[in-house]
Amino acid sequence: MSDQLFKVTIDNITIEVPAGTTILNAARQIGGEVAPPAMCYYSKLQGSGGKCRTCLVEVSRGSEKDPRPMPKLVASCRTTVMDGMEVKNITSPKVIDARVGIVEFLLLNHPLDCPICDQAGECHLQDLSYEHGKEGTRYEFQKRVFKKHDLGPYIQLHMTRCILCYRCVFTADQLTDKREHGVLDRGDHSEIATFIEKNLDHDFIGNVIDVCPVGALTDKTFRFKNRVWFTKPVDAHRDCPTCSGQVQLWMRGDEVFRVTARKDEWGEVKDTTDGKPGWICNTCRFEKKHINDWVIEGPSKVNRHSVIAQGHYVGLTIPNETMPKVMHGRGPKLLMDIHSVSEVNAADIELSLLEGPATSKTFNHSEKTNA
Amino acid sequence: MGVKLLLEKAHVEGIRSYEVYRREGGYRSVEKALKTMSTDAIVEEVKKSGLRGRGGAGFPAGMKWSFIAKPEGVPRHLVCNADESEPGTFKDRYLMEFIPHLLIEGLIVSSYALGSHDTYIYIRGEYAWIVDILENAINEAKANGWLGKNILGTGFDCEIHVQRGAGAYICGEETALIESLEGKRGNPRLKPPFPAVKGLWQRPTVVNNVETLASVVPIINLGGEEYAKIGVGKSTGTKLISACGNINKPGVYEIDMTISVEEFIYSDEYCGGIPNGKRLKACIPGGSSVPILPANLLLKTAKGETRYMNYESLSDGGFATGSMMGSGGFIVLDEDQCVVKNTYTLARFYRHESCGQCSPCREGTGWMEKLLLRLEKGQGKISDIDLLWDIQSKIEGNTICPLGDAAAWPVAAAIRHFRDEFEWHVTHAEEAQKRNYGLAHYADAIHVPVTA
Repeated sequence: MSDQLFKVTIDNITIEVPAGTTILNAARQIGGEVAPPAMCYYSKLQGSGGKCRTCLVEVSRGSEKDPRPMPKLVASCRTTVMDGMEVKNITSPKVIDARVGIVEFLLLNHPLDCPICDQAGECHLQDLSYEHGKEGTRYEFQKRVFKKHDLGPYIQLHMTRCILCYRCVFTADQLTDKREHGVLDRGDHSEIATFIEKNLDHDFIGNVIDVCPVGALTDKTFRFKNRVWFTKPVDAHRDCPTCSGQVQLWMRGDEVFRVTARKDEWGEVKDTTDGKPGWICNTCRFEKKHINDWVIEGPSKVNRHSVIAQGHYVGLTIPNETMPKVMHGRGPKLLMDIHSVSEVNAADIELSLLEGPATSKTFNHSEKTNA
Repeated sequence: MGVKLLLEKAHVEGIRSYEVYRREGGYRSVEKALKTMSTDAIVEEVKKSGLRGRGGAGFPAGMKWSFIAKPEGVPRHLVCNADESEPGTFKDRYLMEFIPHLLIEGLIVSSYALGSHDTYIYIRGEYAWIVDILENAINEAKANGWLGKNILGTGFDCEIHVQRGAGAYICGEETALIESLEGKRGNPRLKPPFPAVKGLWQRPTVVNNVETLASVVPIINLGGEEYAKIGVGKSTGTKLISACGNINKPGVYEIDMTISVEEFIYSDEYCGGIPNGKRLKACIPGGSSVPILPANLLLKTAKGETRYMNYESLSDGGFATGSMMGSGGFIVLDEDQCVVKNTYTLARFYRHESCGQCSPCREGTGWMEKLLLRLEKGQGKISDIDLLWDIQSKIEGNTICPLGDAAAWPVAAAIRHFRDEFEWHVTHAEEAQKRNYGLAHYADAIHVPVTA
C-alpha cells in the first residue's frame, strides 16, 4: 500500500506522492504559493491539524474512480490524496474568499500588539495576515483579554494572543511523560491552562515555545531582550546528555540572546542529523547562553518567507560603490569632517582656566599660538 | 387519528415497569429477532423500512448500519445518542421517561443486529432523573433474561451501560459524544475516519438517536415493508414532534407524516391553535438550528402547494424558501414575538456551546451574538445586517462539525425572510425598544406565478 504512488494535481501542477500523503504535504513538495498556509498543523505532532481552517482547499475532482468534486472545502492538512485527485488552492476564488474570512476570524480576538510582542518578525499569524488577509477589521467590540500566566521559571503564557491551535497541548502530551496542560472552558472563552497554576517542569517542555505560531508562549530568558530581526541566527551544537544538542543560536555580536531548535521553511522543527525531530532540552534552551558553551557551525540558512529572513547574511553581495566612479576617483566628502576642521570639540582647551568668556579665537589654533 | 407506533402504549398505567410493558406485548421484537432472524436479515429489514435517522440529519438508518466495518476480532459498539440538547427538542426525554423499556427493547435488537456486546446510552447530564429510570429498566430487563449472558439461549451476550454527559450541547455530535464517552474533552473529531470504521476506542461504532433505535421495535414487529407503508415517499413511519412556543397544547406528538403543517398547528388533536386569538408569525419546524420560516412560507411552499409535516415537504424549496424536519423540535412564534430577539437568543446559545476547536465557529459565533445584541438593543447599523450575512456565510461549511452550520442557518434564515424587521430595529431604534414589529406582511399570501 505504502509504495503505491498516487497522481495528484494541485493548482494545475501534477506530482506523484505515496498513498496516504495529505494534500498539504503533497502541496509542500511542490512548494511556493501552492502550499496552503497552516497555523495548527505540525507534521512532527501526531493528531495536530484540522482546527484553524486556514489550509482549506477545494477538491474539484475526487479521484480517478469517483470524479465527483467534494461538496465542501476540505482541510488539506488532514485529507489524504486519492489517485487522480484535482485540488484547487490559489486558483479557487472560493478558497481565497474563505481564507480571508478565516484570517479575519483569527484576528478578531488577537490583540495585534506586535510592537511589543517578542514573536513579531517570526510570527506565523503576522505572515498569514500579510499574505492572505485584508486591511482593517469589521469587528467593533471589545476583544477577550486574559491575565498573563507564568508557567514555571522559563515560560510565560499570554493567552490573549493565543489562537488555540492546540500545538502546545500535543507537544506536552507527546514529548513529556505527564500531561500538565490542556484546554479549559469552551468556545471563544476557552483557554490553554495548567490546572490551575502549575509549573511546567519537564526537560523538554521548552519546546512549546517553538511550536507556538504566535506570541502566546514566550521564552522568559529572552523576553524584551531584543527584536528577532536584529539577532543573527547561527547553527551550533554541544554535547548534551539529554537531547541532540543541535540548536540555533540567535546572536548579536558575541552575545547569545536566545537558543531555539532549528526550523525548516514551514517553521517546524528540523530533523537532526540522525533523522529524529530536533526537539531540544531546557538546559540547552535556557541555561547555555554563553558563546563558550557552543561549537559554532556557521550561519543558519533561514528560508522562511518572513521578517527573520531579513537577518540573512549568507551569500550577501555588497552593492557596488558608484560614487568614486562618477567623481573621477575622489571619495565624497562627508559632512562629519567639519568637526576635525573646527576642533570645537577638542578637549585640549580647559575652559575653566580661561580668563573671561571663550571666543572663536580661543579655538583657533593660529590665534592661540600667536598669543 | 394517525397511526401510533411508539407512543401507542405510553398512557397505559404503569407502563414504565417491566410487568406492564411485557403484558402489553413488549419484548416481542427481541424474541422474533433473536430466535428467527439473522443479523443481516434485521439490517435488511431496517433498510426496507426506509427509517431515517431521527436525530436531525435524516440519514437512512439501515444504510448507516450497513457501513459498519467488521474486522476480525475487533469488538463493535452501538451507542445510543440521548444527549438531546437542541433548543425546542424534547421528544427523547418523553420517550425515555415514560416508556423506557421501548428504548431498551430497540437497543437489544439493534445490538444483536450490529454485533455489539457492550452498548452505551450517552444521556445528557441534565436528564439526571431519567438515568435512574433507564437503569431501573435495564436491571428489570436483565433480571428477566433479556440482557446479560446468553440471551434467550441464543448465545448472544449484551450489556447496556448508561453514561451521563456533563452538560455540553456539542456532545450530541457523534464524534464529540464518542470522545466524551472515552472520558476526554468533548471535541468533535475530524472525519474521516468515520465512527463506522473507527469510533469508540478506535472500534467500529454506530451512533443512533433514541427515537431511531426505539423505531426498530415496530419495524421488527410489523416487518420493514409494512412499516414503509406508513407515511409518504421517503418519509416512512411515524415521527415524534415536540411542539412548543405560542400554542395551546405544547407537548410531544406522534405523527405519521401525512398531515399538513396547518393541521398540525391548528387541529385540536395536536397543537390546538395559537392562544388568545393571536395570529401565526413564524415557525422553526425542526429544532433551533433549522431555518425559521414566516407564516406564508410555512403553510404553503413557494409553489403554492400545501406544506406537509415530512422530510421532503418541509425542505421543499431548499434553504431559499424551505426549512428542515431536523430533530422535530417545533417552535411556534405568534405575532407578538420579535424575530431579532429570537435570533439573538439562538446565537447566544450557539456561542456558548461552541467547543472552540476551529476558528470560524469559535470566533464567528461570538461576533454574531454581539452584533445581534446590538441590533436588538437598537444600537445597530444597517451595515450590521450585511455583515451578519457575510459572517454566517464564512462559517457555514468551513467548520469541523455541523455546529458551525447550525449556528449559521438560523441567522441566515432570519435575515433572508425577516430583513425588514431587522432594518426596522435600526431605523426605528427607540420604538423597537417599546414594541414589537408585529406580524407585518409575514402571513400575506405569496404571489405564485402561473406556470404553463
